[in-house]
Amino acid sequence: MACVDGLFGFAYALSRNRAVAQDLVQEAYVRALAARHKAAPDDNIRGWLFTILHNVWKNEVRRRRPEALEDSPALIEALADPGADPERLLGRREAADRLRGAIEALPAPFREVVALRCVEGFSYREVATILGCPAGTVMSRLARARSLLRGSLEPGANGRGRP
Amino acid sequence: MSDCPARPLVSAYVDGELIGDERAAFEAHVAACEPCRVALEAERTVVATVRGVKPLPDAPAELRARVEGLLVRRPAARRTAWPAVLVAGVLLGALGVMVGSRYRSRPLAPELRAASSFASAAADVHLRYARGQLPLEVRSDQPRELSRWFAGRVPFQLTLPDYPVGPGEQKFYRLEGGRLVAFGGDYAAYIAYRMDDQPVSLLVTSADRIRPEGGEIVRSGALAFHLESVSGLKVISWTDNGLTYALASDVAVSGARTCLVCHGSPGERERLRAFPGEPGI
Repeated sequence: MACVDGLFGFAYALSRNRAVAQDLVQEAYVRALAARHKAAPDDNIRGWLFTILHNVWKNEVRRRRPEALEDSPALIEALADPGADPERLLGRREAADRLRGAIEALPAPFREVVALRCVEGFSYREVATILGCPAGTVMSRLARARSLLRGSLEPGANGRGRP
Repeated sequence: MSDCPARPLVSAYVDGELIGDERAAFEAHVAACEPCRVALEAERTVVATVRGVKPLPDAPAELRARVEGLLVRRPAARRTAWPAVLVAGVLLGALGVMVGSRYRSRPLAPELRAASSFASAAADVHLRYARGQLPLEVRSDQPRELSRWFAGRVPFQLTLPDYPVGPGEQKFYRLEGGRLVAFGGDYAAYIAYRMDDQPVSLLVTSADRIRPEGGEIVRSGALAFHLESVSGLKVISWTDNGLTYALASDVAVSGARTCLVCHGSPGERERLRAFPGEPGI
């Protein structure tokens, strides 16, 4: 149960949909429980769970048509008027909302690395394992994602967070 | 700033991913490179901002309960009085399952044989729908239209039945719509009905994904109906013709009446009416 918040946050970062995120987390646990005999006692169980969830999501993306996913236009729109200096906003609810919106507006590969590294604190190597990509890809995506987030939080930015 | 060859290392440095000589070389470079110093400070600000606010939501209590349910091994099923649901199971078997399928059955995936997980999923989606937390992706009271919507979206063929009503007669239920829900690494079909102003939910997936297990089993012919109480709901699940079904309803709804969503033809209703203990059909 210790991972459920992190898994849900990651699932939400992937899907941008709370209902889908709940289904993803539940399915990840179902699969993990069914395959728990495959995990060695010293395995990184937390990373393993995130890997399973990411695989469930990849399968879902293959099946689900894009229009079936509910984006959150309201949150993305929240980037349109970033307002004041991000340092002054730090700790305030608006900053949190705007940052959530900025992360949601990131392209999917960037959302993934932000959720796993910046929020969950996985190392680059762990993120690479979870996503099934080279560590160098993680590093470059993360640098680009933070650049976009920084742009979104700067005063006067258009805030879309799009590359 | 972005032209500096060391710029791509700023994120890695802030994240503590540079070690040894690489880290020392980067620090020496930053000491002499103003653009990289600015980039480093900006990077630290973004990292601190992300850490300072919680940018992603926590799991809702509902999900925690669902996960806890998965993690805690359920005790052996107690025998309970299931008069109405028993009626539903027996009648479903006697009447045959009317939802058509031409799905070609493949060997069951053993890793997905979690006991009662499909009934739990049906109860979950039912509760979420009843609470207004599960928006329908297609709204229609026309079974044919709904069947067309599911075609190609789920990996099986689902044909929802429809029954004509006589002049001045009203249907006992109303089809509200449907949506996809994730189950077993694929999509299941969720169909929402309303009966006596109460929601009734039908969840359908391929029998390759799951087969009902657990609960009280009522056999009728070749069919086995699994009767369970999940989260205060009645859930009947069964497998037939390559598909697995779970019918979830509130305890306030007669179990046999829920059968009407698929067995509403006049002849079938007569058989349901004749069953003792179900006078309201």
